[in-house]
Amino acid sequence: MVVLLAVVVIGGLVWLARLNRGGTRTNRARMDGAGPDFPDRPLGGRVVSPALMSQGRIEVCGLTKDYGGVRAVDDLSFTVEPGRVTGFLGPNGAGKTTTLRMLLDLVEPTAGTATIGGVRYADLDQPIRCVGAVLEAGAAHKDRTGRDHLRVVCQSAGIPLARADEVLELVGLGAAARRTFRGYSLGMRQRLGVAAALLGDPQVLILDEPANGLDPEGIRWMRDLLRTLARQGRTVLVSSHLLGEMAQLADDLVIVAAGRLAAQGTVASVLGSMAYLSRTLVRTPELEKLAAVLGSDVVVTPAGDSGAYITGADAVAIGDAALRAGLAIHQLVTQLPDLEAAFLELTAGKAAIR
Amino acid sequence: MTALLDSAALDQADDTGTTLARLVRAEFMKLRTTDTGWLFLAGFIAFTMLALTINGFGIHHQLYPQKGLDGPQALAEAARSRTPAGVAAIAASMMTSGHLFGVIFALLLGVLVVTSEFANQTAAVTFVTVPRRATVIKAKMAAAACCGALFWLAGTVIAAVATPLFLYTQHISTSLTGWTVARSVLLNLLAFVAWGVFGLGLGAVLRSQMASVIGALVVYAGSFGAILVFTLLYNLFHQAWLLAGPVIAPAVASEVMVTSGPAFPYAPPGWVGGIILIGYTVALVAGGIALTKRRDVI
Repeated sequence: MVVLLAVVVIGGLVWLARLNRGGTRTNRARMDGAGPDFPDRPLGGRVVSPALMSQGRIEVCGLTKDYGGVRAVDDLSFTVEPGRVTGFLGPNGAGKTTTLRMLLDLVEPTAGTATIGGVRYADLDQPIRCVGAVLEAGAAHKDRTGRDHLRVVCQSAGIPLARADEVLELVGLGAAARRTFRGYSLGMRQRLGVAAALLGDPQVLILDEPANGLDPEGIRWMRDLLRTLARQGRTVLVSSHLLGEMAQLADDLVIVAAGRLAAQGTVASVLGSMAYLSRTLVRTPELEKLAAVLGSDVVVTPAGDSGAYITGADAVAIGDAALRAGLAIHQLVTQLPDLEAAFLELTAGKAAIR
Repeated sequence: MTALLDSAALDQADDTGTTLARLVRAEFMKLRTTDTGWLFLAGFIAFTMLALTINGFGIHHQLYPQKGLDGPQALAEAARSRTPAGVAAIAASMMTSGHLFGVIFALLLGVLVVTSEFANQTAAVTFVTVPRRATVIKAKMAAAACCGALFWLAGTVIAAVATPLFLYTQHISTSLTGWTVARSVLLNLLAFVAWGVFGLGLGAVLRSQMASVIGALVVYAGSFGAILVFTLLYNLFHQAWLLAGPVIAPAVASEVMVTSGPAFPYAPPGWVGGIILIGYTVALVAGGIALTKRRDVI
């Protein structure tokens, strides 16, 4: 009896070890790109009715989450409007994922509320018919095919199983539908996550770092898809720490640092609020004279080739001063801070390792 | 709701059935679409065949003791085995061959039904799809119970084919429809279902796959250590009730429930074992549901 028991115990442990090792197999086919295998499928061009628009507004109010003694999210409030792509930006550990998980009722807030169309996620009648979420690229059973993964979600949500094949075609995974998740590249996993989010044809899409692991072709595909979905009137909330990607994708920005709101508004207004970071490029053959005329309040940084960056005075002031002094100006350009500079300024010193 | 993505499938959406019924079907789909469940079933079938063989050898030895090697006690035992009660006990034993370790398959599969969601990070997908977490756990409980019942069915069908053949070769005639046999077979079903659900509850409480599998095996194997502990206590305090004490260990309780006649000297009646095993199972599932509702899914 003891021997038999030992056999069962050892067998169980060996089997467990096999399960854990399974995830590291390296025979993954590389099919990241949206190449010929994954043609972009046009989405339906229908536009959402105004009544649906109001259902799609995300409102986060005073949201706070403590983990033990650590405050991951601190009195965070913002609004996400339908019909626009909103970038949810912040350094690693800023509380982005925790916030999205509170929005989806996966994490219980310590204080505050998060609602979608005025309703808590848990109170939605058919949640995935209203909200589609992409949380983690690695979120499917390794031994299950992509198609079966989606069919399980359909079955749980009461959606016809045939819908799984529709969304697989939509995200360009039709050819890989019957392969196990273990063999998916990171890019394919992201696409499968997006496919799962689109199953219920939701008004609201919430995506946590969807561009992670995508190659440039895949990033372009994701950008086009999200912009198309927003144009149809859907709410698209995308978290990212990839600033360049957000600058091209987002209409609005919500920037968080150390769990707190750092800035919110349209991309232009967030950048505009950083006007004090702007500088002016001047080219003139008489740089010293111009510097003397502008006075001691401005900072002149030589930029080579008879040019200099001037901060502390805008282009109008510099032009007027040069005219009064009779100095020739060959070039006068205002350079607004790019998103990256704004982001670094807003989150400076607040990045935390959590 | 307006279909924003032109979808033939969604246009036919038909939400018949309760959330629980849909989720139970989804749990079966999860089990069907990975290898784990099938491997467990194959392992269980192989194990049952092995157990039947070993049990058969044991019973053969009991019926036909070797003269000269076995003493008069063995001969008396052989004579007892040939009485109607003895034959029924032999048939019952064959029909539930290997159940002592067979239920471990149901136990571990029950554990995996819930812990694989956390190990594969699919718990978030599951709970976002259906935020009613208690309903999700109840659906998993139904799936674990059905897996236990399926294992029992597979084992019983194999035993039902093997047992009459074996008894025929041993020149014993009996019917498998007697109450002793039927009782053992039905209680065996209860044990398989209970252990499947026990594993589910343990997995829901612990969440970690590794911890839950090891925990389940330790609880099961450790239960038999209770016999040693209580024997020791009896030797110290000489209280007769201490000899019935091991029944508080889940696997011993299960054994007491299933065995026709006392599972060990001074064992309490079978229903006591049944109540204790079901009590542990209910407590674990209730704890698992309460914790799953409260805990954050990270």
